[in-house]
Amino acid sequence: MLADYFDGSMDPQLREELDAHLALCEPCLVFTKTYQAVSDKARRLRRQIEYEIPLDVRDRLETFVRAAALKYPEKLDEYREQVQRERREMVAGLVKAAIACRLSPVMALLVKTHCSACPECKEYFDGLPKASDPGPGDPPDLIHSHMIRLLQSLPPGEEFFLA
Amino acid sequence: MSAERWKEDEALLESLRKGSPGAIDELLRQYQGKIFNLAMSILKNESDAEEAAQDVFMTVIRKADTFQGNSAFYSWMYRICVNTCLMRLRGKRRTETVSLEEFMPVFTDEGMHASPMDDWSKEVERNALNEELGRMIRMYTEELSEKYRVVFVLSDVEGLSNEETAKILGLTVPAVKSRLHRARLYLREQLSRYLREGKAG
Repeated sequence: MLADYFDGSMDPQLREELDAHLALCEPCLVFTKTYQAVSDKARRLRRQIEYEIPLDVRDRLETFVRAAALKYPEKLDEYREQVQRERREMVAGLVKAAIACRLSPVMALLVKTHCSACPECKEYFDGLPKASDPGPGDPPDLIHSHMIRLLQSLPPGEEFFLA
Repeated sequence: MSAERWKEDEALLESLRKGSPGAIDELLRQYQGKIFNLAMSILKNESDAEEAAQDVFMTVIRKADTFQGNSAFYSWMYRICVNTCLMRLRGKRRTETVSLEEFMPVFTDEGMHASPMDDWSKEVERNALNEELGRMIRMYTEELSEKYRVVFVLSDVEGLSNEETAKILGLTVPAVKSRLHRARLYLREQLSRYLREGKAG
């Protein structure tokens, strides 16, 4: 792939073959030059390409952040509790989705891959009751922490459950 | 991102954890432009981007204490930003993005490039073209669907490494390269047409 040629990761033999071809083929040479120019210019023209933050937006954001920052010391405990609570809720949601067979494909794959390397989690997931049975309690700490890691490794924008 | 930036961020994060509000203010002021820009590139309108930026900062503030530092701070924050913005896009009616297929290189039966090849690589180095070129790149980038656009913005515009981009987006490096490559092919083709038309007109 051409991107590999420019970032130095192309297989040396392939690179040699490509160089030989480029020495003889004008259209391909132009193609590679203009291809490289796209990323070169994108980098150099970052300031022109970036969306500059309007002054009023910037001021509002600064005001917002400053207000939140000033409250930070007194809110710290509340934030910590909030995060813990959110994590428990996410794990509970994950377990529920697993029981109902409604994990998103990405999440299902993450769980499967993890369980193949983690006997405790495998045992836990395999032992989950069927949908009609009463729900399990909170998973043990170790499994809880693994689940948090799995949830955090979901690519941005992805859900862990099927809508 | 420079090593100094990284060190400064870590130091600010330390102060933040010790409860210093000044550190939060400082930390977020450094990045508000970047976060707004990233949000704009995904959401494409200012009011959504502003709201998203606020959400991002609020999340960062709430979770700064629990951030474990297994990535650079800005990496973590960019990921939060991408996630916030992509979640916002869910359920919104998407504006049309182009299909890339018609902008991929076309070859003849003999394996030669079928479209004309003008070499504009040198002429775009003239600084006089910068504003216009920047605008055009931005415009064409907006036409890409998010999966290509975000990779292009992070890697080629912001200059993050493929590894960093991969980490932020939860992709493999080959996936990043593949999307980057397609974004570049599209932009190369659009810029070529634009510059060729400029000459003919």
